[in-house]
Amino acid sequence: MKPGWMLAGLRRNPGPVVGTLVAAVLSATLMVAAFGVALAHTPSPLGRLAGADVVVAADPQLHLTIGTGEDAEHESVPLAAYPGVPVRLAGELARVPGVASATGETGFPGGTLRPGLVDLIAVKATPGTSPAALAQRIRADLHGGAGYDLATGSARGALANPGVAIEAANGHALGGAVIPMLITTALFALAATTALSVDLRRRRFALLRAVGATRGQIRRAILAEQALLAVAGGLLGFLPGTLAGAAGVRALAAHGLLPPGSTPSVSPWYAMLAAGIMLPVCLLSALASARRAARTSPAAAVLEAHADRARPNPVRILLGLVAAGGVVVLNVLSLHQHGPGAAIALALPLLMCGMAAVGLLGPVLVAIVAALARPLAVSPSARLALTTIRRMPKRTASAVIPVALAIGLIGAVAFSNTSIAHATTAQAAQQVTADHVLSARGGANGGASGGLLSEAILREARALPGVRAAVGVTPLSIGVADPDLEFLGGEAISAGATGATGAISDVLSLGVAAGQLHDLGPGQIAVSAMEASSGVLGVHLGEHVTVYLPDGTPYHAAISAIYQRSLALGDVLIPASVAAGHTGAPGGYSQILVAGGTQQELASLGRAHPGVMVANRAIYNAEVQQNAQQNDFGDTLILGVISVLAAVAMLNTLVIATLERRRQVRLLSRVGATVRQLAGVFRWQAVFVTVTGITSGAVVCAGTLIGLTRAVTGSPVPYIPAVPAGLIIAAVAGLALTAVMTSVAMMSGRQPFRGASPLR
Amino acid sequence: MTTRQMIDTSVASQQAPVLLHGVTKRYGRGRSAVTALDDVTLSFADGSFTAVLGVSGSGKSTLLQCAAGLDRPTSGTVRLCGEDLAALRDRRRTLLRREQVGFVFQELNLVPELTVAENIALPLRLGRRRAPADAIEQAAAEVGLRPEQLRRLPSELSGGQQQRVAIARALVIRPSVIFADEPTGALDPYTATGVMRLLRRAAAGTTVVVVTHQPEVTRFCDRAVFLFAGRIEEVMDSPDPARVAACLHALGARADGRLVDRAAA
Repeated sequence: MKPGWMLAGLRRNPGPVVGTLVAAVLSATLMVAAFGVALAHTPSPLGRLAGADVVVAADPQLHLTIGTGEDAEHESVPLAAYPGVPVRLAGELARVPGVASATGETGFPGGTLRPGLVDLIAVKATPGTSPAALAQRIRADLHGGAGYDLATGSARGALANPGVAIEAANGHALGGAVIPMLITTALFALAATTALSVDLRRRRFALLRAVGATRGQIRRAILAEQALLAVAGGLLGFLPGTLAGAAGVRALAAHGLLPPGSTPSVSPWYAMLAAGIMLPVCLLSALASARRAARTSPAAAVLEAHADRARPNPVRILLGLVAAGGVVVLNVLSLHQHGPGAAIALALPLLMCGMAAVGLLGPVLVAIVAALARPLAVSPSARLALTTIRRMPKRTASAVIPVALAIGLIGAVAFSNTSIAHATTAQAAQQVTADHVLSARGGANGGASGGLLSEAILREARALPGVRAAVGVTPLSIGVADPDLEFLGGEAISAGATGATGAISDVLSLGVAAGQLHDLGPGQIAVSAMEASSGVLGVHLGEHVTVYLPDGTPYHAAISAIYQRSLALGDVLIPASVAAGHTGAPGGYSQILVAGGTQQELASLGRAHPGVMVANRAIYNAEVQQNAQQNDFGDTLILGVISVLAAVAMLNTLVIATLERRRQVRLLSRVGATVRQLAGVFRWQAVFVTVTGITSGAVVCAGTLIGLTRAVTGSPVPYIPAVPAGLIIAAVAGLALTAVMTSVAMMSGRQPFRGASPLR
Repeated sequence: MTTRQMIDTSVASQQAPVLLHGVTKRYGRGRSAVTALDDVTLSFADGSFTAVLGVSGSGKSTLLQCAAGLDRPTSGTVRLCGEDLAALRDRRRTLLRREQVGFVFQELNLVPELTVAENIALPLRLGRRRAPADAIEQAAAEVGLRPEQLRRLPSELSGGQQQRVAIARALVIRPSVIFADEPTGALDPYTATGVMRLLRRAAAGTTVVVVTHQPEVTRFCDRAVFLFAGRIEEVMDSPDPARVAACLHALGARADGRLVDRAAA
């Protein structure tokens, strides 16, 4: 059929494709919003650099060549702290022809604090020298400019905010990380709505086959319809997506995940990009349905009633079993991963395999559950409901799949966070053996927003009577190069000794598996067992490694300890004296852990230094638990976005699946079924769909979480708190039942007798 | 094969546009299998207007589906417009239907989102053939539709008008054969008569096979074929409604007797 005819049909009656269009528009909206966040513009005012013609700053990325020979790979990763520019460079640049003056500038947000370094060099050109030409000469003088960023014109502002660039990179990464999840969710949501939409028009496709439409024509018509919906979704999703992106950027900036004053990136090309992504998603989701519709027997055009084929499609079952097998294989693979990164990378394919298995084996699952539910069907409504379900397993499965998708996806995202948080809390409670914990105002974990405790406070704490050991700790990021270049979470830790007996191990119990953690001095490094294992760093006790401090400075050290408990404290421990000046923050500690001493003595120390809080171990552990349970805003945002898409897809499909049965409702009304009885039939069916969907979704969720939690926490048993799990199940069940019963109420409110409607 | 079936095959059968030879159609397997057609041999002469009648479950619709290439028989041969359907792949059968066969069903005949004109032109569009407006108008005029009705949607037409549109669609390709499955089943007697008269006139010269359970329809037919339990029971030339009704009544009584026998057994 020509597209014109198809368009005419859709224009006059978009009913069959409304569900797909809604899912496409929502998916495109969220993608445009994600683009807006991922490419958000960060503020870069020139400020005091307005007078400089060329600005020379340090390259904020760490560049390494990993491997040798043909296996050598060049990798880059944003630094965790700005490295700064040597102050002597100003003098060197002043001698470059065309330079009127070169001045080292400091004091920019996120800039360096190390002696001998400045944040950037502001260069003024002599009259008649263009900034571009001057920049070229400076670059040549710097031997190509490796390790430096040069900027002229409006680009100077970006270099004036080095810390902002790092913050912006994190926010952009968050926006980018959401997109694969959106595509996955959209794929399954669209597959469910498309399958239902095609199934509802089965009789029409039979008529077209009877009057001479070939299978190819039917297939092409459906795929062309999907392509149209993809484009329409992209275009219609542009405006709401832009607004959502703006809201997202504001929210991220408010929570410190993007620099203040950031603005979303807006471009009409994002609509095209979203449509371009939605196009293969829509086509892929419709392939199976298009093929099924094309194979509709033309004899079906003369059939009054329709029932699904008695035997399930063997090809569909085989593919479903392959997908289920994929879940098993990926889980085994995940369980053998030693690094959390690899396991996290497998989580999305695991989820997709699980959802594909549910989708393909849906009719079989429905048949099994229907058989199990038969003894429960005692009322006429229940029996009629179950009979309909048994006769229409494919159509019932179309309603089950989005419920399973919602539970599986939301559960996987939510409970991976709770599992990690729970394990972190448990480990933290075991780790800290100190009797007291000093922290700066801003929380027990100190953190970037709180102040830092000075070296002087540490010395005073050590000097208190009865104190056996006092150790300062500060979180930081350490760059490692195996197997990939990345920055890991770790701690800078002070020497612990108080006299000859005090030790780090007096305040921290990290489950040392090899070596010792009494002390940690320059030239030494402690690594978690997870990171040290084969497949990750692959190092042993005593082995020498090179890691990179937050500003990219290499640190060569010998492995002095390998420890088990790393969730709360990080995977790498280095001496605080080594990290000093390389973190982008003033020297100091976020916490001081004290073994021995009395509450009164430490309290008086706290009173002597405003901003210092003193807590015993119990209070400290409670605060750690509370903080761990407060999801990172970024995780909450991702969970919220995915939940919205999954919930709307579920509502969409259930409403359509219910409304298309208005013919059955009219028939039952005519033969004497009361509204109450009708509601009972649909209520039973809604309960069946909800229970089957939630159960299969929970299985998919569990299958996804096992390998992930094993790799990150060491235990394959995910932590699923009862209240959030109950809330999620209740919300999904409530939405599902509301969608169905509201639709039934709408249908029941109409007159029972209507003229026979034309072919749908 | 019965005597009547042998008689039927002798009537220029080999040249007939529609020929069934030893056609059997079974649904299901084993003990639960149902034989809808049992070794049926039948031909429909060129230009003939034949009614196929029988009680419910006699195999009427199954015969139409097999004859029209909508379904494959379990065994036997079906030749449609000179082609052995078993030898054709699905695509070729589809093209054969599109180019040489017209269909009229009892209801749900039309694509609801397409106008009357678009529904009529549907087979031409599927074949990527031109559908000139005057050709559509002429096809519509032949079935008594007014030009202003061409822009309407099926939901805006009465049942009888919808059947006229279906007939116009069947005729627009100038088919060799028209199959109509209970075309008047959902219509009142007056409208049904009007539709059948229209079909007879508009399809003059075309081979028409009408499946029906209504004796009045046979008034417009050259021949009536009666099926019972999947077999040809009788072939009546120049049927009239009274004789047809009597034959159906007798078949009905036999069907009831079978039911009683089965129940007793």
